[in-house]
Amino acid sequence: MLTQILINGILKGGLYALMAMGMSLIWGVMNIINIAHGSFIMLGAYTTYWFFTLYGMDPFVSVLLSMALIFFLGFFIQKYIINFVIGASLFITLLLAFGIEILINNLALLFWTADVRSVQVTYGGANIEILGAVIPTVRLFAFLLAIAVSVILFIIMNKTWLGRAIRSTAQDLEAARLNGVNVGKIYSITFGIGTAVAAAAGTLWAVIFPISPTMGGHLTLKSFVVTIIGGLGTMMGPLVGGLSLGIVESLGTNWFGSTFENLISFTILVLVLIFKPNGILGKKE
Amino acid sequence: MKGTLIGFALIIIIGVLVPFTAGNFAIRLATDIVIFAILASSWNIIGGYTGYASFGNIVFFGVGAYATAVLMSKAGLGFYPALILSGLIAGLYGFAIGFPILRLKGHYFAIATLGLAEATKALVQNLGLTEGNSGMYLPMPEMGIDASYMFFYFNALGILLILLVIMYFILNTKLGYGFVAIREDEDAADSIGINTTIFKSISFGLSGLFTGMAGSVYAYQQGFIKPEPVFIVTKTVKMIVMAVFGGVGSLFGPVIGAVSIELIANYLSEHFLVIHTIFFGTIIILAVIFAPKGIMDIITARKKIGLSYFLENIRKNRV
Repeated sequence: MLTQILINGILKGGLYALMAMGMSLIWGVMNIINIAHGSFIMLGAYTTYWFFTLYGMDPFVSVLLSMALIFFLGFFIQKYIINFVIGASLFITLLLAFGIEILINNLALLFWTADVRSVQVTYGGANIEILGAVIPTVRLFAFLLAIAVSVILFIIMNKTWLGRAIRSTAQDLEAARLNGVNVGKIYSITFGIGTAVAAAAGTLWAVIFPISPTMGGHLTLKSFVVTIIGGLGTMMGPLVGGLSLGIVESLGTNWFGSTFENLISFTILVLVLIFKPNGILGKKE
Repeated sequence: MKGTLIGFALIIIIGVLVPFTAGNFAIRLATDIVIFAILASSWNIIGGYTGYASFGNIVFFGVGAYATAVLMSKAGLGFYPALILSGLIAGLYGFAIGFPILRLKGHYFAIATLGLAEATKALVQNLGLTEGNSGMYLPMPEMGIDASYMFFYFNALGILLILLVIMYFILNTKLGYGFVAIREDEDAADSIGINTTIFKSISFGLSGLFTGMAGSVYAYQQGFIKPEPVFIVTKTVKMIVMAVFGGVGSLFGPVIGAVSIELIANYLSEHFLVIHTIFFGTIIILAVIFAPKGIMDIITARKKIGLSYFLENIRKNRV
């Protein structure tokens, strides 16, 4: 029983980690809290749904297309909207992100209606057994894909010129600019990558849970919690935060009941902020 | 000084005239606007003057609403004692919770307040005293329909005026200067002997006090409340939108913001029902890009407002 609960928590945690990764990247590099993050997850879920429904594409294949599409969307939103206010005070960028969220969610409602939809893959009901615990195959696939995307993102950030440019922009804007980094472009690419990763999370969400245009708000809040628990400024932060939250939630809801899920995660959020504001792995400022 | 007097005079004259020149529907709309003006002005205390962008101010609204529901329907109190107690409870909550979470800065504070609001909502959803997710009924006001519309409108207007008068006086005391000093440079404020911890908590407490009273009026007006609507995150964002739209850190800015945003939103939902929220999102984006300092800045600016004003705003903040 305990093994089952832990495994459920880990599988859920992998998804949480992927959700938070894009948010953590955008936050860490540009100091923007992307309130619209959940909307990009929703868009990822819907692109997957449409590729599946219209063309019969397997979600684990079409995830690449979804990511590419949402990358360009994020790129252009940053380039033509957010870059204009990036120097303004904190709540200005927060509000802008909120405006974007309203816009995306309501356009989605307009075009796709409020109907709840789901992606029914043929292997959806299959299970495998490990150590006496039953694991749905899609959840395992989703977990593995989450890990794969994290590893790719890790490699991009640490081993490529682009990653160095992004990290240097995050550390010191002026210095990066003096060294020939086109800061505006790096911001746009970073936002694009962040939203593309969100789209990947959306794909996995669509495979496991039903989706609707208003699913994003709740997921944005979860992503906050994970980002804070893990700590900003490290690539491992979201992974640690996601897995911890997944396991704690899984144990907590088992002991107290599922209505306590939000109470648990937000109490953890406030406590972590009060006692360890830089997160479990966060660096001292 | 002169501007402030004109501002107060305008609010009182327009505020008193509206209900006598309009029907019940318009009075109800005006009540909503005044409640939002209270929320935006309360947010302005912590977010505008003290410079801490709270993203969870709705928590005080919810606490105020639930305190009133519990006090009136379980303890059998009348409306006014419940209103005052609810305000105090919400204010004390803000004051007390301010000590730990106001140590956080910037985004961390914003997220902590958001988490606080969500955690409080989840708590209310699970408590026996608040009857969980099924919601709570409040006693009906013992008066006619028309009289009750007037009653709620004037109570809300009264709270707004008290809030503005109190803030006007506070801003000219050491406390008010302390708030602004903390916003401009907290370390400097600390070094000249301002007890920043206490000042910030007082600011958060004041914000909570008036937001809680607005929640109290709202609860009695609705007659029935549930956790989800009274703790809804989008309302926090709406109060910030209003404060920013009107002008952050000015006495009347949030009031102007609340009136204009609600009137625009109401007009749009009447005429373009399907797409009015899309318009709302677009307005937020455009306002934030072109006029981040709000309407008050446009009103009080000495120089002529033209295209160059808006271009200047963009030039200053873009990357």
